[in-house]
Amino acid sequence: MRNSGRLDGWTAGLGTLLSLLKRVCGMPDYQGYLVHMREKHGGGAVLSEREYFEQHMQVRYGSGVSRCC
Amino acid sequence: MHRIVWLLVSAVGAAAWGVIALRRGETINAAWVVLAAVGTYLIGYRFYSRFLARKVLGEDPSRATPAERINNGRDFVPTTRYVLFGHHFAAIAGAGPLVGPVLAMQFGWLPGTLWLVFGVVLGGAVQDFVILFGSMRRDGKSLGQMAKEEIGPLTGGLAMVAILAIMIILLAVLALVVVNALKDSPWGVFSILCTIPIALGMGFWMKVIRPGKTVEATVAGVVLLLAALVAGRYVAESPTLAPLFTHGGVTIAWGMMAYGFLASVLPVWMLLCPRDYLSTFMKIGTIVLLALGILWVRPDLQMPALTRFIDGTGPVFAGKLFPFAFITIACGAISGFHALVSSGTTPKMIRRETDARLIGYGGMLTESFVAIMALCAAAALDPGIYFAINAPLSALGGTVENAVLRIREWGFVVTPEQITGLAAMVGESSLLGRVGGAPSLAVGMAAIFSGVFGQHLMGLWYHFAIMFEALFILTTIDTGTRVGRFMLQEVLGHIWRPLGRTSWYPSSLFAAFLIVAGWGWFLIQGVTDPLGGINSLWPLFGITNQLLAAVALCVGTTLIIKSGKARYAWTTLVPLVGLLVVTLTAGWQKIFAADPRLGFLSHARDIAARIAAGSQDAAVGGRLIFNDRMNAVLAAFFMTTVVALVIASALEWLAVTRGRKPATTKEALYVETAYAK
Repeated sequence: MRNSGRLDGWTAGLGTLLSLLKRVCGMPDYQGYLVHMREKHGGGAVLSEREYFEQHMQVRYGSGVSRCC
Repeated sequence: MHRIVWLLVSAVGAAAWGVIALRRGETINAAWVVLAAVGTYLIGYRFYSRFLARKVLGEDPSRATPAERINNGRDFVPTTRYVLFGHHFAAIAGAGPLVGPVLAMQFGWLPGTLWLVFGVVLGGAVQDFVILFGSMRRDGKSLGQMAKEEIGPLTGGLAMVAILAIMIILLAVLALVVVNALKDSPWGVFSILCTIPIALGMGFWMKVIRPGKTVEATVAGVVLLLAALVAGRYVAESPTLAPLFTHGGVTIAWGMMAYGFLASVLPVWMLLCPRDYLSTFMKIGTIVLLALGILWVRPDLQMPALTRFIDGTGPVFAGKLFPFAFITIACGAISGFHALVSSGTTPKMIRRETDARLIGYGGMLTESFVAIMALCAAAALDPGIYFAINAPLSALGGTVENAVLRIREWGFVVTPEQITGLAAMVGESSLLGRVGGAPSLAVGMAAIFSGVFGQHLMGLWYHFAIMFEALFILTTIDTGTRVGRFMLQEVLGHIWRPLGRTSWYPSSLFAAFLIVAGWGWFLIQGVTDPLGGINSLWPLFGITNQLLAAVALCVGTTLIIKSGKARYAWTTLVPLVGLLVVTLTAGWQKIFAADPRLGFLSHARDIAARIAAGSQDAAVGGRLIFNDRMNAVLAAFFMTTVVALVIASALEWLAVTRGRKPATTKEALYVETAYAK
């Protein structure tokens, strides 16, 4: 019982780290999006992971991503 | 307690500067340069940026940011400040801060160090912060839109044209850096070519096989990339495979143009998006590795603090210390291009107004730190080796023996065995005259990494560094060509409506073709230039980048004055005036200087005289003359555009300070934040 609790803690920590890494690199963070929808929009209809990825790409690269030299 | 910490930071920084000032004439350890720089950054951040945030810009912790108000889960997303800092940094830092300091090393390591450290604290970071803040207060408006709304429609139009032209020069010069690093290098060409199928595979994985699984695809991509790097050695050593991947500069240049064209018109998921992830992963990883390597090895700086070439006779590029040190190093000290990023995606993601300082000012300080590390890596090279790699082949006399004699005339000792031995160690046929900065930085980085992990991996590290630079230059080329295409389509849309539709394929192909033809023309000009191209194109790039910074500072000054803070306008006016003096002097010299090595027009006259005397082939000479005149016209165009912009802005400032116009700006309305509670 105690072990599985620790394991959950580790998984959660890893999840947070992964989510940080994704956002730093400008990648879509689907888990974060689900949490956002649940907390802010009361768990209404959400996009599938594929739809979310498509939308994210459209927003990020649709009008050209500006980056420096 | 805080006071004691800051006193200590100041004391360490001051002591490090003291060591740098007193140890003239003997070699100095890189650690002192790093310490002095970091000490100054910390002080600048703690005191100057706080002054800017609180007094000049008037940050308001109670005010909701656009990310909070609009929060649409797509582009407007409130983001934790450390995450956004990383994100912003990854978008602003690229090859620029790595290449400029290496080229400017021909003056010695001191001018670059001083300009990077003080330029960023008083200029570059101020520009980034002010523009980021201004854009954040205006729901993430772009630099061009802010220029249009706050100064006038004409200024907005001018800024737009200037941005487009600068983009073309930027892409050409970065492409030239890659071409020079890859020509006659089968190892390099093979590993870079491999990045294309790897990116396509990643794209296919994320789009079709396991939609949205970006991390696993990227990790697999990085592993494959490293495998390609290792495989490159066997390709280079194989007598049957090596010739397939050994190409001259012109072939590689055409290949890059074809790549840039395709990448900018293909759907983003195929190439652009996977390459973006790949290069961001590699960028963050390598920069951390380089920082740790320098701290671990703490190399001595072999290059003198100042060389004799401050008089303008240097082989890497022409021109004296003033103004050319300030032109050669743009990114890392002050980079106009950042104003485009700071008024792009970042301002839409800031969670609290008080976060903007860390992201805008702090992000730029970090880029300057990357530039300082590149500078240390290059300065740790033997000066003789540095000049053997960075001087054009024509200045070195073509062969290793001649190069050794030339370099000895310049006052540095190097043996033929050193030059050939180093080339063999890094797995290249020759390192002579590999201009552009990337190869010598790669040698410097390889030396540092080998100092940590052992000498036998030198070749692998060298090609790792080359691949890392080429990877994000290529990413800049495909994103840049695409952005250029969108901007051009917007302009063309005013002429004929359908041309402005970015979803209409013929229009996209046409605009992409024009952009690639634009930078491709300069690229071919650089590749075929007997002086190596970097000589004329890098200063042109520096001038344009700094002029864009001048545009950004004009907009920044306008925002400050119009928000009723005219008494603090010096914070952006001082760097603006400094930049104008530097860039207009440099531009003037590049056009009109009597020395044919420096001035475009006198170089054209020199060639014409040689054609008349029969010592120069008329067809080649005619092309060189045309290039020179074109470059002169371009420099003159940039200079007039910026002078016009400055005048238009100054008139607006006077109107406000004299009370003829109200001091009001077009900020979004105040809404109270919910995060403060």
